[in-house]
Amino acid sequence: MTNDLIQLVDIALKDGPISVRAAGRLMSLMEDQPWRLPELFHAWAAVRQGREDELSEQIPMPRLFLGITGAPGSGKSTMTDALVGEYREKHPDKKVGVIAVDPSSPFTGGSVLGDRVRMMRHATDSNVFIRSLSARGHLGGLTLGVKGVARVMGLIGCDVVIIETVGVGQSEVEVTQVADLVTVVLAPGQGDSIQMLKAGLMEIADLYVINKMDREGSAQLHTQLLSSLNLSFDKKEVTDVQLVSATDKTNIDQLVDLLDKRTSEQSSDWPALREKRMYADVSESVLDQARMLLAGELRTNPDLTKQIIEGTVTVHDVAQVLLEKACDSTQEV
Amino acid sequence: MADKCSNLEKIAEAKKAWDEGPVAKTCGRFPERKEEFVTVSDEPVERLYTPEPSVMKEYNEKLGFPGQYPFTRGVQPTMYRGRLWTMRMYAGFSTAEESNKRYRYLLEQGSTGLSVAFDLPTQIGYDSDDDMSAGEVGKVGVAIDSLADMEVLFDGIPLDKVSTSMTINSSAAILLAMYIAVGEKQGVSADKLTGTIQNDILKEYIARGTYRFPPKPSLRLISNIFEYCTKSVPRWNTISISGYHIREAGSTAAQEVGFTIADAICYVETAMKAGLKVDDFAPRLAFFFAAHTDLLEEVAKFRAARRLYAKIMKERFKAENPKSWMLRFHTQTGGVTLTAQQPDNNIVRVAIQTLAAVLGGTQSLHTNSKDEALALPTEDSVRVALRTQQIVAEESGVTSTIDPLGGSFYVEQLTDKIEAEALAYIEKIDELGGMVSAIEQGYVQKEIEQSAYNYGQSIESNDRIVVGVNKFQVEEENTIPLFKVDETVGKLQTDKIAKVKADRSEETVKAKLAALTEASKGDDNLMPFILDAVREYATIGEICNAMEGVFGQYTETFN
Amino acid sequence: MSDSTATGAKVRVLIGKPGLDGHDRGAKYVAHILRDAGFEVIYTGIRRTPEQIVDAAIQEDVKMIGLSLLSGAHNTLFKRVLDLLKEKGAEDIIVFGGGTIPPDDVPGLEAMGIKAVFGPGTPAKEIVDTLNSCLA
Repeated sequence: MTNDLIQLVDIALKDGPISVRAAGRLMSLMEDQPWRLPELFHAWAAVRQGREDELSEQIPMPRLFLGITGAPGSGKSTMTDALVGEYREKHPDKKVGVIAVDPSSPFTGGSVLGDRVRMMRHATDSNVFIRSLSARGHLGGLTLGVKGVARVMGLIGCDVVIIETVGVGQSEVEVTQVADLVTVVLAPGQGDSIQMLKAGLMEIADLYVINKMDREGSAQLHTQLLSSLNLSFDKKEVTDVQLVSATDKTNIDQLVDLLDKRTSEQSSDWPALREKRMYADVSESVLDQARMLLAGELRTNPDLTKQIIEGTVTVHDVAQVLLEKACDSTQEV
Repeated sequence: MADKCSNLEKIAEAKKAWDEGPVAKTCGRFPERKEEFVTVSDEPVERLYTPEPSVMKEYNEKLGFPGQYPFTRGVQPTMYRGRLWTMRMYAGFSTAEESNKRYRYLLEQGSTGLSVAFDLPTQIGYDSDDDMSAGEVGKVGVAIDSLADMEVLFDGIPLDKVSTSMTINSSAAILLAMYIAVGEKQGVSADKLTGTIQNDILKEYIARGTYRFPPKPSLRLISNIFEYCTKSVPRWNTISISGYHIREAGSTAAQEVGFTIADAICYVETAMKAGLKVDDFAPRLAFFFAAHTDLLEEVAKFRAARRLYAKIMKERFKAENPKSWMLRFHTQTGGVTLTAQQPDNNIVRVAIQTLAAVLGGTQSLHTNSKDEALALPTEDSVRVALRTQQIVAEESGVTSTIDPLGGSFYVEQLTDKIEAEALAYIEKIDELGGMVSAIEQGYVQKEIEQSAYNYGQSIESNDRIVVGVNKFQVEEENTIPLFKVDETVGKLQTDKIAKVKADRSEETVKAKLAALTEASKGDDNLMPFILDAVREYATIGEICNAMEGVFGQYTETFN
Repeated sequence: MSDSTATGAKVRVLIGKPGLDGHDRGAKYVAHILRDAGFEVIYTGIRRTPEQIVDAAIQEDVKMIGLSLLSGAHNTLFKRVLDLLKEKGAEDIIVFGGGTIPPDDVPGLEAMGIKAVFGPGTPAKEIVDTLNSCLA
């Protein structure tokens, strides 16, 4: 069952354009069948047999998973683009990964993913891997798929993986389950910036970036932010605020320095955290798989739903029936 | 006054009776063809329009007289009774030699001005031998790499006798400098040159895409051109603020007016911030709109644009020279309205669009050729397009009186409506911090994209009919002869660049380019530096690179 | 619908504009009708080189690439995209095109490996149906 994954992992760890293709495929697999995430660990182990001197025991992990979120219009893509450029300049031998998440249409499930538009100058840089994802919103939602893709980014040797999420809905909270550090981007002229902070973004931010610092109102926003942080925020770590202009690349070097500093200060805590997350991911995969099996059974037995409504059986009864049926059909396979 | 009002009341009463009587009766037996009638821009259209009180009460304020504020009825006191519009056909392809032949042909055929189409590498400032130019050289217009090409392009065409319009934006300063330099070689001084450069970078970010530098340095170049021309090329139209491409990208008529005037506001503010006086440069600002097939909506659009602009220039910018209030515009028939299916039908569309432009009071007009949905036009199809203008001018009779649709109950009310909607867009853009900020946030692009999507969907669903596309289709073989650009132009231009580089003084060119780079870092007017480099045969790519090192490149916004 | 509910997989398509022309109305419109038909569309924006388009397509693991061009450079640039795909072991990615393309050029483009060319005015349904049949 894991054979396809083993083959892809094997190719992805070789040289040349074909490895990029394999990595892209692996990411699609993780996205389309997120419950297969744990198989990635098996595949790694299998591929490592015979390549022990070349490959580490555990799947390699990036130095930093960086979450970037903020209101629409705050310039997240531009900032991601600028960060990638700066990282590549500061660490020329290191690979950078970007996962850009956009919403999908609630009606058709389709989507137009446009974050790449801003980042196309990096498209031919073999040390930058960009992947656009849509928040498909079903079968485990955003997180597990993103986690799988993020793991593949680590596997192919990315030093930093930037996860840029849509600044609305659940995803900015879910990003904390993947990212080591979360950056919230604010910009003057976005009337809702401070509102967003009040609505819960504050709890997830490790640092803030005020983008478009050359615009009118940035100083005011800075003051507002600092005062709301002092008033209502009580977090142990120092929360940094960095002013930048992503379009002009102003202060992006300072932001990268800041991120590097925070990474080296905090990263000793991360192995334990990441291990905890791995177990959580595996549990989620199991639940995902179970939910899928049960959903399949329920689809083939529409009468069960009808009976609940008619009152002849209870929800609990039906759940049990589904479990039994699912067990039977799995054994048949 | 009291009489007029009671008169209006009587009309309203009679209309009510008509609605409830004959109309209701007829509709009861024979329902109308559609539940809702709309314009091509989705404006609802009523069954019948009757006199609207404000037109009667405020005639002088709202309509006035041609050649007078607010110019609703036209910018000249006699309009086409005095002089017809300039029939200006946009042309250019392949090499300067080939295009020069086409210009001479057009002038022989009765064209009264030239309109130069440049290829995309020239428009963006890449040399023909640049990797980015692969496959593009000479395709949508003529390839110009250095002054040497420009000399050939205008060979035998006296620049003091012909007015030339150039569709050039991010590299406008360079092409203008080349035109000035050609004039010098012909013995025509810059103050005798007449013509227009498009020079409208904002709509490139919004809709057309031939930008190079970010907004700030691009706007500086535009201000530099305003200032330079005011002093040295006083008869030159320094900008043609273009709604055409916004409309082509899918906007509605009201968006075309609103976004174009919002662009104009940004240019005026930039120039004023740079220390220019509004009445020094505003009389040289020109506009460029599209003419689509919804005849009456288009006429209303042009009238609304004139009135709105005049008010803004007078009230917002306190311009005092009446020439600063005037919205003078060039028109091109709508390229997107042409169909690849049954191309002959396009001749009819273009004829209606020509009427729209003329009834709307245009100052100059380009008519598209029937084959342009498929390729660049052939010489024969260009002639038919030009003849279309000539027939409207000479045979139709619409040129004998000014603003013949003025006073139409429908056109006046639609004029008011488009003006109000356009103004609402301008206010929204002000709210977003001005046009540059609105573009950077993707607001304008998104609005246009949505209109284009709605329009497309209305055709998919057959709510809107395009003859030959979703109704009255026929099986057809593609037999019309199409124009083909020689694929070897790239090679020809590459050889020419090599020759130019061999013949010039490398050292002088380097020094001039270095001076331009240095000046780009400061606040000096860049025009003299560009002109210096052009005269020494620096290529367009070299000149753009000299500035790009300082200015950087623009990347589009997509939401 | 290209939604396969069993796996949650979506057909991923990249829509790109090679060359220098900035007329993106058609490209954006096609992106939106494909979204409406349930595809996941990666939009790259205007003025992209064939190299950028192909590298992006491989990283994004798309099944199809749609190229839109109105400048007349299609013969050169579409070919370059196909050549690069081959070079990078990705010739299985389906390539289709659209824009101002003279009918005379279509057979040549198809012969070089472009699977479909959609001229101006092609109905959305025809585009979606053709692409779905290419996938089948």
